[in-house]
Amino acid sequence: MRPMIPRFVRLALVSAAVLGVTLGAQQATPPGPVTNQELLDGLKADGSNWLTFGGNYANHRFSPLTQITPENVGSLQPKWTFQTATLGNFETTTLVRDNVLYVTGPLNVAWAVDARSGRQIWRYRRELPDNLTACCGLVNRGFAALGERLFMVTLDAHLLALDMKTGAVVWDAILGDYKTGYAATLAPLVVKDKVIVGVAGGEYGIRGFIDAYDAQSGKRAWRFYTIPGPGDPGNNTWQGESWKIGGTGVWVTGAYDPETNAIFFGTGNPGPDYHSESREGDNLYSCSLVVLDADTGTLKWHYQFTPHDVHDYDSTEVPILADIPISGQPRKVVMFANRNGFYYTLDRTTGRVIVAKPFVQTTWAKSIDAQGRPMLQPGHRPDEKGERTCPDLTGGTNFWPPSFDPRTRLFFVNAREACATFYAYKPEYVPGQRFTGGAQQLVNNRDEKPFGAFRAIDPATGERKWEFLTPTPSRAGILTTASNLLFTGDGEGNLLALNSRTGTLLWRYQMGATLHGTSPVTYMLDGKQQLLVPAGTTLTAWALPDGAGNATR
Amino acid sequence: MRVLAVSAFAAVCLMGCPVLRAQDTGEPPAVNPLSGNAVAIQTGMGLFRSRCADCHGMDARGVRGPDLTQVWASGRTDGGLFRTLRRGIPGTEMPSVGPRTPDDEVWKILAYLKTLAAPTATDVVAGNSQNGERVFRTQCAGCHRANGTGGRLGPDLSRIGIARARNAIVRRVRGATEDFLDGYEPVIITLKNGQTVRGVRKNGDLFSVQIMDGRERIQGYLRADVKDVQPGKQSAMPVFGPERLSESDLNDLLAYLGTLKGFDPSVK
Repeated sequence: MRPMIPRFVRLALVSAAVLGVTLGAQQATPPGPVTNQELLDGLKADGSNWLTFGGNYANHRFSPLTQITPENVGSLQPKWTFQTATLGNFETTTLVRDNVLYVTGPLNVAWAVDARSGRQIWRYRRELPDNLTACCGLVNRGFAALGERLFMVTLDAHLLALDMKTGAVVWDAILGDYKTGYAATLAPLVVKDKVIVGVAGGEYGIRGFIDAYDAQSGKRAWRFYTIPGPGDPGNNTWQGESWKIGGTGVWVTGAYDPETNAIFFGTGNPGPDYHSESREGDNLYSCSLVVLDADTGTLKWHYQFTPHDVHDYDSTEVPILADIPISGQPRKVVMFANRNGFYYTLDRTTGRVIVAKPFVQTTWAKSIDAQGRPMLQPGHRPDEKGERTCPDLTGGTNFWPPSFDPRTRLFFVNAREACATFYAYKPEYVPGQRFTGGAQQLVNNRDEKPFGAFRAIDPATGERKWEFLTPTPSRAGILTTASNLLFTGDGEGNLLALNSRTGTLLWRYQMGATLHGTSPVTYMLDGKQQLLVPAGTTLTAWALPDGAGNATR
Repeated sequence: MRVLAVSAFAAVCLMGCPVLRAQDTGEPPAVNPLSGNAVAIQTGMGLFRSRCADCHGMDARGVRGPDLTQVWASGRTDGGLFRTLRRGIPGTEMPSVGPRTPDDEVWKILAYLKTLAAPTATDVVAGNSQNGERVFRTQCAGCHRANGTGGRLGPDLSRIGIARARNAIVRRVRGATEDFLDGYEPVIITLKNGQTVRGVRKNGDLFSVQIMDGRERIQGYLRADVKDVQPGKQSAMPVFGPERLSESDLNDLLAYLGTLKGFDPSVK
């Protein structure tokens, strides 16, 4: 007699057999856990991965892929659109691995999405407290990845490790107390076995810091306060007790230089933002680039772009590292287009200024002197009557990522031309409440309207190579590719493709919402180059029609 | 924390205080008790500047947060705005003013805000509104709508009586205008065949422009498909100098406009 096997078990056995065959066929060489080597490799020619915020540790946001070209970009077709079903905007850089997209959204919702179909695989949603104090967008700028884990910061100032396969929380570390104004929005930076993050809250009287956590255990390995405490060098650049509530958040991902084991992070504005009588001094290390040892968090060097800032010129822009010839000499540099209106090329080993030149109309400082200090123009300290300064508080650029093409050695920045009247009045510090001591009034009238410009800058000289003007400023980041394409968005919801050598417009599509604080990413999927575009609450994947382009790359 | 705060309010209210009692039932007064109060407005200005202007701008016309000068004109009420300040807007950056802020401070902020757009208490109402309505029908209604009748090229004036100060209207009518209102900037489009279309700009970007033309046709044009798109230099609104509109007719018109406090569709 045949043994009785229940019907559902038989079905399951058959399914398992079929599944086994399918799995075997599809996953001939499924990639294992994310390795440090992959992070060091950055974007590879096979286009299989996008594993760090800037594509590579140097933050180039430059892809080697060449299937989409200036000639065929006009025939891109949407493949699918994914919607968050939340309030707020995407500011995320999507990570890509093994045909799956790892996406963080507004309000700390996050997803794994099938790159082939745009369908959700899992969703993580954080229950956020009612009385959040986060300023300037309830957003998140992306995951970091290592092993089988994703790392994400939260608006209530935690750092989470999530299981890449399920979205389940593996560990949960507290960065700071959200009730006193701490928040977190940046994409973490994984270096070796550590997850490096910073805190936002520069408008709430926090004392900023950069933290490193052990990726395995979630235990804190080190903390670097962006405002030195008593007895530490630099504490005397803060008047009295002002260092305790001096802001200086860190809310944009830094770069990593494996050669020197150094991490490079831009720091935020000192607080209160505009009324600065209570914090006389340079206010180190606000509005600076701080360079730390990745293992210990020890400061190697710093460069302060805006000493004693009074215009909310956070230096939380994205630093880009490269080795380029300058005046015939090979130089190791860090490039930085600052909210304060100046573009900088610094020596990456010493912090010395090689180039510092305005890339937008800038009135608060004439130039940067030989010691790297801005030469201030008189009359640019806000008061109750108001003073006019360019750029406005949103700045010549801001947190939206720039890009660097290592072949042409051009630095691409999304610039804003805008001026404002800045006002200041004495604020009172109440924990958890805004502590800015002023406000701005944008100059925007019939004769003088803010506008936007995508600009290509030669980092060896600071000279502008080309520009593409738009009637309103935009907050989009920039992606470039090895086929001379530059992808970004304008201030009115148009996705733009420009020729990165000339700035000529090649293609555009109205997305219905702007790219906000982020850029598209690109990768290969089943032999086809994909362009993934976050706009508003949507992600749309674009590719060439079947038969177009080169199937290999 | 929130539960505690409410209980504390309840305890205080049992001892008797009218404004707080309203808070306790969750129903604030429908009308700002401090509206037009000069001292309250002055304090409200300070509160607004220190607590709101950072996001909404010194002139309240919006920076990161939205323009607040048009909220009454767009139909929000004192009571509704009070609730928004008290509760914040969950899921956005708009915070609650917090339990430490007493109701009267919220009302002071709103009293100040109202002065930025709405008529002030010192506006003298004079003139014959019946004649004013006649003036409106003959001179203004071609482009402006009030209570469901009139043109659409200019802004609907059904709430102008609570949205604009008298002197602001006078400046506009007499032609001493500052800026074009968003959505009403003049624009001239030259088509490929040389024909020109004049209208007011509703929206636009690098590649297209959306307008309402003189015939009230709403239409979008791709810049690539037309010869030229130019901003107009002069407002679509004509200048009504004294030769066109006497002081006395203007006075009557202002009296009529002052009666326009919101369109009620049920009134025919």
